[in-house]
Amino acid sequence: MRRKNSVPSGIVDAPLETGSQRAAVEVRIPSVLDGRLRTYDRGADNVGAFLRLLGERMTRDLAVSMTGCVHCGLCAESCHYFLSRPDDPTMTPVYKADQIRRIFKRHLDWTGRIAPWWGHAGSPGNDEDLNRLKNIVFGACSACRRCTLNCPMGVDTGLLVRFARGLLTEIGIVPEGVFNVSRDEWETGNQMAVAEEEYLDTLQWMTEELRTEMGTPDVEIPVDRPDCNVLYTINPREVKFDPRSIANAAKVFHVAGEKWTLPKWGWDQTNFGLFSGDDRLGAYVARNVYEAAERLRARRIVISECGHGYRSTRWEGYNWAGLDQKLPTESVVVTLLRYLEEGRIRVDPTRNAEPVTFHDSCNIARSGDLLEEPRRVLGRVCAEFREMDPNRRENFCCTGGGGLLSMAEYRPLRLEAAKVKADQLRATGAKLVCTMCHNCIDGLNDVIKHYRLDMRVVQVLDLVSNALVVPDVHADAGH
Amino acid sequence: MPYIEQDEKKLEVNEEGFLAHPEEWNEETARLLAKAEEGLVEMSAEHWAVVSYIRGYYVEKGMAPMVRKICQTTGLPLRRIYELFPSGPAKGACKVAGLPKPDGCV
Repeated sequence: MRRKNSVPSGIVDAPLETGSQRAAVEVRIPSVLDGRLRTYDRGADNVGAFLRLLGERMTRDLAVSMTGCVHCGLCAESCHYFLSRPDDPTMTPVYKADQIRRIFKRHLDWTGRIAPWWGHAGSPGNDEDLNRLKNIVFGACSACRRCTLNCPMGVDTGLLVRFARGLLTEIGIVPEGVFNVSRDEWETGNQMAVAEEEYLDTLQWMTEELRTEMGTPDVEIPVDRPDCNVLYTINPREVKFDPRSIANAAKVFHVAGEKWTLPKWGWDQTNFGLFSGDDRLGAYVARNVYEAAERLRARRIVISECGHGYRSTRWEGYNWAGLDQKLPTESVVVTLLRYLEEGRIRVDPTRNAEPVTFHDSCNIARSGDLLEEPRRVLGRVCAEFREMDPNRRENFCCTGGGGLLSMAEYRPLRLEAAKVKADQLRATGAKLVCTMCHNCIDGLNDVIKHYRLDMRVVQVLDLVSNALVVPDVHADAGH
Repeated sequence: MPYIEQDEKKLEVNEEGFLAHPEEWNEETARLLAKAEEGLVEMSAEHWAVVSYIRGYYVEKGMAPMVRKICQTTGLPLRRIYELFPSGPAKGACKVAGLPKPDGCV
């Protein structure tokens, strides 16, 4: 590792207090009043509360990552922040994790209590120190867990980062964007505050568009239909800003002859509890989805293309909600692969003639273990597929992960750290980069725009829908 | 904070190019933002129809409208919105209409 003390730290100095929190307190929104959503109180003993929570929430998994680091520096070479800012030691995962680790050592590890100077143990002195920790764990890490995968000691820096985020969220020291989304999830049940009427109206609109496009009144987007094989859940940005992906899914379900439905409530599979470290929020949002499936007696939960939504709904949500997983819970890409392999849909790959590369989302590949399924789908629906290097579990983050897309204050650092991603994308020479995550779409679009790459971002469903051979009903009837 | 210049006045924008003080917006601001952020040399009647509707909705309700409402009111098909604003309704049209950055995964 090269070190130059003259290089200023890239850590952003975002302020402690935000306008959104003040407004939420002033208008007395229910989730603030009943304590589900925490706001910052300058007069409170925040350091005391932070240290108390640190002790209360400590687990064996966390303690292993707090004590296991031998400072070998291998994590540095895994981190896109450090690779793009190689002269700045504050960009290494070990530095970021040490800011949490030193507090653990000072208060919970006997060596640090007896000899704090030896293990660099220390304590946050005031709220400004906690704010600096916020700017590190939220602002200088996309929680992509690439360093975790490459740590020879098994230190899970991603786990430490989420843990520290959770402690800070509990005392209201949290970036404005994360606060706003948490507020909307608590208050409306979805991250973009989409009202039920708007949701239903948009689905009706997409149904009409599809009927015109496909020339049949049979295609539909059912809501709250009981006893279906598939309960489909989506990302609110699909319904709010770009419902074409819902229409694409409906088209494929129709051709595959699937019995499916969206729920009227519990349709948001995204979950900012993963990003804020708030397990209660995580449990609430995930439980809405699981309860919808139970209420409608669905046989399977299918998650639209979303990285953190997949990890939250497929894996973490059951733990947060304290529920056993009774139903298969899968990504729509797995569903698409099943249709292709069972011959329920037919595709013409020549319709996707441009070279396509695939970007593995951190929460789907590294933290979700879904690696070959998207490739098998792309292999069938594209004429030319090119691997990115590195790929699968070793792929680099789109740089907008961990909720960073919603935190504009950290954007300049994020785009600087995206240099390694831009180089990786450019080297493929592909015109299309496919990803199965809505967050990655915007993250990659930002990188493409900033580094002036000649590429376009698409999703798996876009390509499948484009290649889909819609059977001619009249021709079939003639046989 | 970064800024854009309009009539020798500095208008603050956030790190993503959204106006920091949405009340400072006027039609000239829209033209400047359209050029800087979306590469639009000129705003057509269709651009204005989208931007005026979003602006009016925001002034009344304090948030961005659903894309459904934008299409319904302007009579433009969804596909056309993406042709008019390459960055899409949230990061393109809402930005030109002087809204603050929409919350969430956008």
